[in-house]
Amino acid sequence: MIAGIQQLENDALAELENAGSQDALLAVKTKYLGRRGLLTGLLRNISQVPAEEKPLFGKRCNEVKVLLENKIEESLLRLSEGAKKQTLTRGKIDVTLPGRGTRPGRIHPVTQIRREICDIFSSFGFSVVEGPEVELDYYNFEALNMPPDHPARDMQDTFYIEEKTVLRTHTSPVQVRVMQQVKPPVRILSPGRVYRRDSDVSHTPMFHQIEGLLVDYDVSFADLKGILTAFLKRVFGDATTLRFRPSFFPFTEPSAEVDIRCVMCAGRGCRVCGHSGWLEILGSGMVDPTVFQNVGYDAEVYSGFAFGLGLERIAMLKYGISDIRLLFENDIRFLRQF
Amino acid sequence: MLVSLKWLKDYVDIDVTPQELADVLTMSGLEVEEIKTIEPEFSGVVVSRILSVKKHPAADKLSLCEVTDGERTYPIVCGAPNIKTGDIVPLAKVGAVIPGGYTIKSTLLRGEQSDGMLCSEAELEIGDDASGIMQLPRDWHPGTPLEAALNIGDTVLDISVTPNRSDCLSMIGVAREVAALTGKKVRLPSVRIREASEDILSLSSVTIIDADLCPRYSARMIKNVKIADSPVWLKTRIEAAGMRAINNVVDVTNFVMLETGQPLHAFDFRFLEEGRIVVRRSEKGEVFVSLDGKSHVLPDDTTMICDGKKPVAIGGIMGGLNSEVKDDTTVIFLESAYFNPSAIRRSARRLGMPTDAAFRFERGIDPEGVLRSLDRAAQLIAELAGAQVCKNYLDEYPRKIKKTGSIPLRLDRLRSVIGAAIEPKETIRILKSLGMKVRSDGRGKYLVDPPSARVDIEREIDLIEEIVRLYGYDKVPPSLPAAAASEISAISRLELEEKIRCTFAGSGYSEIINYSFTSPASVDYLLLPGDDIRRNFVTIKNPLTEEQSVMRTTLAYGLLETLKKNINNSSFNLKIFEIGRSFIKRGNNDELPEEKNILAGLLTGGVSEDLWGGKNAVDFYDLKGCLENVFYDLKIEHCLYNAEKTEPFLHPGRSCAVVHNGVTIGYLGEVHPDVLRKMDIKNTAYIFEINLDLLNEQVSRQIVYREISKFPAVVRDVAFVVSEDMEAGKMLEIVEGQTEELLENVVIFDIYAGKGLDAGTKSLGLRFSYKAPDRTLTDTEINSIHEKIVQNTIARTGAKIRA
Repeated sequence: MIAGIQQLENDALAELENAGSQDALLAVKTKYLGRRGLLTGLLRNISQVPAEEKPLFGKRCNEVKVLLENKIEESLLRLSEGAKKQTLTRGKIDVTLPGRGTRPGRIHPVTQIRREICDIFSSFGFSVVEGPEVELDYYNFEALNMPPDHPARDMQDTFYIEEKTVLRTHTSPVQVRVMQQVKPPVRILSPGRVYRRDSDVSHTPMFHQIEGLLVDYDVSFADLKGILTAFLKRVFGDATTLRFRPSFFPFTEPSAEVDIRCVMCAGRGCRVCGHSGWLEILGSGMVDPTVFQNVGYDAEVYSGFAFGLGLERIAMLKYGISDIRLLFENDIRFLRQF
Repeated sequence: MLVSLKWLKDYVDIDVTPQELADVLTMSGLEVEEIKTIEPEFSGVVVSRILSVKKHPAADKLSLCEVTDGERTYPIVCGAPNIKTGDIVPLAKVGAVIPGGYTIKSTLLRGEQSDGMLCSEAELEIGDDASGIMQLPRDWHPGTPLEAALNIGDTVLDISVTPNRSDCLSMIGVAREVAALTGKKVRLPSVRIREASEDILSLSSVTIIDADLCPRYSARMIKNVKIADSPVWLKTRIEAAGMRAINNVVDVTNFVMLETGQPLHAFDFRFLEEGRIVVRRSEKGEVFVSLDGKSHVLPDDTTMICDGKKPVAIGGIMGGLNSEVKDDTTVIFLESAYFNPSAIRRSARRLGMPTDAAFRFERGIDPEGVLRSLDRAAQLIAELAGAQVCKNYLDEYPRKIKKTGSIPLRLDRLRSVIGAAIEPKETIRILKSLGMKVRSDGRGKYLVDPPSARVDIEREIDLIEEIVRLYGYDKVPPSLPAAAASEISAISRLELEEKIRCTFAGSGYSEIINYSFTSPASVDYLLLPGDDIRRNFVTIKNPLTEEQSVMRTTLAYGLLETLKKNINNSSFNLKIFEIGRSFIKRGNNDELPEEKNILAGLLTGGVSEDLWGGKNAVDFYDLKGCLENVFYDLKIEHCLYNAEKTEPFLHPGRSCAVVHNGVTIGYLGEVHPDVLRKMDIKNTAYIFEINLDLLNEQVSRQIVYREISKFPAVVRDVAFVVSEDMEAGKMLEIVEGQTEELLENVVIFDIYAGKGLDAGTKSLGLRFSYKAPDRTLTDTEINSIHEKIVQNTIARTGAKIRA
């Protein structure tokens, strides 16, 4: 009987070896381990085994049963893994094809610069305000200490709408409008479009400026330097060297032009900086007492500073754009680069 | 202002390099824009003496010369008639380069050796004289390089003078500034006139009728003038300053203007009728020919310089052709006056004559320099034109020119404006270096008198600026002002704009910025009717071009132009948007126009360029979808798309107004084929505009959380067969209009027309979703509600249920 078990085991293992499919395996399983299976049959006949062999017989039967069960389980698993693998292989895709869906659009470079500057000044406590682009002569010039026939009006070639209405030549009129409405402290920033009658590689008849104004008790020229230094280092990096240079604006005194070391040549002199090693970045100054008088602020009590800068110029420097007009061509091949 | 350093050194010592000087000036507010070097146009040319002149044996018109440079003797063949033994002349030696790039070579001329070339003024481009060899002064040493002997070669600083610094529109003014910055003293030219016996007072007179235009008019008379070319020193100075040399008299007037800042004018006294001057304002429609030969109709209130009968000059701007100095002029009437700055500026602008004189008068000249400059010029004319200055001078001075008195300066004010302390000693040193007189009251206050040329200094703040300017901005330590809360609140629309930018960019749209001005024809291209308010243009009086002559009233035209430009660049797939203003003129001219903040966009081409799985053309719903995303982002619900209200430039069957809460906030649709044809655009495009001011008012910034129901929704689908022109939106409106709490939402899930349906009808599949917050709905409960809604809908629309 024991030998019969051995024979059965050998037969079963051989058959398992040949069973190449799940069905064949299951057939082998049924043949040996099923309710009417051969091994089951042997066990059923245990009564005919001599008593002294019974324990060994039972043990062997069990061993073979476990062995076959494991073998069959193993083979089944192997087979299904193979099938799974085959399915996965068949489902292979070309991962190098580009992804589907919409590419995001770009935000205009001038807007990006405006956002950056507004964010920096918001962190200094400045609020964004707006004013009209078609502006009264009074706000654009007169209230800013440029009465009619003032030679400083030559500094800005103006588009006229009516005798007393212009396209604003700078964002400075917003200062006046705000100061007329609120009492100090004032910390404002006014971005927007401005217009000058000029058109070449470095000028477009429309461009963007940001105006800033801070008025409070005891604001000094040293404060102007502090705020603008902090600002320019945030925009151009901590290592930026800057200089404050005396200049003239009718609505500020003392006035300062702020230059940074040329970002292209690091001060050695190149085409971009006109071989001076410096780039003019913004105009600034202490608010002229006449402007305060025009808006009803007491210049003996309050002081403040104002500054203005052109966004296109910053964008051109930051992105290496040589012709300002490209910013308004709206060529999609240009815009997609930002 | 072009400043020759050679000339500047006449007034102040300079012991720094041009670059260092430029840096110092720039950092004190006189920005040097360029440093130019003037070099001679020749090299290798020396002073030489002619030792002998013989006739050329083989050519009548040539001579054989022997010329020495002090070391060697050179044989030269020369064709000029004006040379003789002993003449000092320029010699271009072998190897010399003369203007035009010619190199002198050793050569045989008709069989005779010639080792160089004698030169005329014209050949060296020193002057215009080409008639003979240039004759040099007898005492010049042979062998001296000609450029050194003639003192050619200079460095010129191009200084950008700000409008307040009229004093620096003169060499002496710049010299004063240099002196103050470098610790030197200014040397002023000495003016000494030897007056002849004849007295101007008996020969001429001045009458000022309009003293508001001309507060002061002075004059001198110079007789026996011989008009000639100016000497080289005078020519080179004038030319270095960018002016053209004309003759000795005119050049002197220009020279003195450049030196002192006082414009002058020389009349030929012959042409002054009655021998006198009258200053008055122009008469209406008066015509005058200026010395450049141009005829002008004079604007009102122009200052006219007249003789006894007629105008002879436009005061402070330009002289007249009828009285200009000519080659045979012998008596000069020399004018030095002070004109009203605003009046000059107004006239110069209206006449379009921004002359050097007007430029200085309108910025304000030194009121005390009028006579000094008059005498300086009279002296120079006498010296250079062999003339005599008549005794006395005319000086009509009917109106006192405003002069600033002493200006108080408080040291504490100085400190608080600058934010740093400058030593009183240093403060006084700076003020004095600028020629100011300073008196102290001993209690921290000073009284300061600026020099008369500094017409820009009138107030304490002007003094403070001068002090910190010379102290050095870079020495002021930066500080940060204390933070203070301001009552100014943020503009809500700007936040909205930023959200919109993100949504559009996320949907593939790139932001563009178009000019705010456009062509008046834009509204014709857009087929806008005559009474459309978008025809109420804000018009620019002085546009650069017709295409930029009005402010845009819509952003649509700019988008279409952008489309066209990009198509020309073969960019056919375009998703763009712009945020900017439109400008509508109001009925009342005194009012500023209405400026609306507009969001606009355009879509054309394929859904996605990068899509490899086939490319679909975009349509109306792609654009609408993006707009809906914006509304979704802003939590603007229930926008209506009204096809009845649309725009003339949109396809009538594929466009609509966008309405929210009864307010039309914009439009959207396919561009009308007629518009595209007119603009020569071959590609279909979809555009929209939304008024952001109106949209902003509609946005609710309140977010209220609603409990999410734990209970399942019950869904019922119904297909309604309706007339084919029934809008889906209308259908939804009717369904949603039936107040039923449990109806959570209704969406369109299917649209079908064709086989199985009658012609002229379509099927609209609606999916109803019912839900209760507190319980699971039962079929029976829902069935009755649903049935009621369906029946109501059928009753109101005439729909049938699709079998």
